[in-house]
Amino acid sequence: MTRTMWANRDLLDRLLIAADGEHVGMVDDLELSDGPAPEITALLSGPTALGPRVGGRLGSWWLAVGRRLRPADDPYPNRVPFAQVTTINHRGIAVAVESAEVPTRRLRGWVHDKVIDRIPGSG
Amino acid sequence: MTRLMQLTLGIVTAIGGFVDIGNLVTSGIAGARFGMSLTWAIVLGTIGMTVFAEMAGRVSAVAGRAVFHAVRERLGVRTALINMVSSTVLNLLTLAAELGGVSLVLQLATGVNYLIWVPIVGLFCWLVVWRLPFSLLENVFGLLGLALIVFVVALFRLHPDWHGLWHGASHPSVAAGEGIPTYFFYAVSVFGACLVPYQVQFFSSGGREEHWNEKSIPDMRMNAIIGFPLGGLLSIAIMAVAVPVLQPLHVDVAHLGQVTLPVAQAAGVAGLAFVLLGFFAATFAAAAECTLATGYLISQYFGWSWGKSHRPAQAPRFHLVCIACVIAATGFILTTVDPITVTLVSVVLGAAAVPLTYFPVLMVANDRDYMGRHVNRAFSNTLGSVFLLLMLITSVATLPLLFITKAGL
Repeated sequence: MTRTMWANRDLLDRLLIAADGEHVGMVDDLELSDGPAPEITALLSGPTALGPRVGGRLGSWWLAVGRRLRPADDPYPNRVPFAQVTTINHRGIAVAVESAEVPTRRLRGWVHDKVIDRIPGSG
Repeated sequence: MTRLMQLTLGIVTAIGGFVDIGNLVTSGIAGARFGMSLTWAIVLGTIGMTVFAEMAGRVSAVAGRAVFHAVRERLGVRTALINMVSSTVLNLLTLAAELGGVSLVLQLATGVNYLIWVPIVGLFCWLVVWRLPFSLLENVFGLLGLALIVFVVALFRLHPDWHGLWHGASHPSVAAGEGIPTYFFYAVSVFGACLVPYQVQFFSSGGREEHWNEKSIPDMRMNAIIGFPLGGLLSIAIMAVAVPVLQPLHVDVAHLGQVTLPVAQAAGVAGLAFVLLGFFAATFAAAAECTLATGYLISQYFGWSWGKSHRPAQAPRFHLVCIACVIAATGFILTTVDPITVTLVSVVLGAAAVPLTYFPVLMVANDRDYMGRHVNRAFSNTLGSVFLLLMLITSVATLPLLFITKAGL
């Protein structure tokens, strides 16, 4: 059965759910392939994808913060290849990747290591 | 646990969860200044809260989504961002009011200045969020909050002029010496105290924490439809006891202690002990719920893992937000700003911001893609739309009223 999907309604701003059920971010933007018939190649997530979509001064500020958070590597947003999407329904977009392998969780790792893990009783 | 007990527990916690510092302060002030003439605002606020809590609970159970996930999906990235930021600011103000309220109760109980208690209360609030299992938070404080029933007992022991009370409630009029803007300012504050947005945010995310599904709908519905109106009745009782005791003396309620006076008069030290216990439980639970609600909504906007069913290490950003909220609100109250004023401002601004949370709930509850056969029926939609209209009118009127009356002076 084919169903018409709308990027705006069915993909953007949907929750990304990893194979182990963890919430791993939102679909902040989409990556399209070059060429005469563009196809969706990946779902993008993270501040460097969200910033431009928020737009205006706040958006560029957001983007700048996102860049500072990952100075060492390329500020290109985290991507989840579209081929790894398993289901799209009202609960969100399920992907066939374990949460630990989704590259959207830099801030999470930092907060965990620097703050939460140092407080007694976090584990 | 038997089903009946579970149901009773749910209803009881809904009663405790409904009443918080906003209801205590606004009902007390309104009773002392305006008699029963603002009862209609509590009734309207309670019906609104019940209708929308039922909807949010249904969305949570059927679609498996808490309110703020839906907010971003439905309103888009920018509107949802504005919504998220204003809801957070409002929740922080509410949290500050609740923390101040708990500290004031401790001052009443011990005589030690409330400012000493503020950091301790903040710390305990965070500890509850950090470690206490979700069901304990709801059940323990919900049950203790029931001590507030002493207001109903006190009302009977005061032998008030029942006919006069009923007449005041059924024939609302502006009390002599009060301006019409002031009357409506307090109407908005009483209405807003019943509808504070964090309660709906907490109710819907709490449903996820407790893994509600379609089978939970009847229980959830009973909790909302019986529990919240009983909470509203409790607010009316707090208002009513002030009428025979405080109104004749023209007491201008500016301290939490004054709200307890009628009970002390009617039921003595034992009554007072119950009031303080009830106040403590209601405000402390509200502080913890408000902290969690803020953590929930920010995490849901960004798609972070959230909730108390995760250990803190598995939801680090959610817990960081909670810590930051408690620190900010504690710091704000420590500036010696009057907690009662903070409460009034928070419920009034809350009344203005109510549509931000309630409109998306109505939208999603009407979406067949999410809700399937549990989509809103005509009854919920009619009530929901009427209330949303009422909330929008309130929202527009709030700021002018706030400035004209200088926050109800």
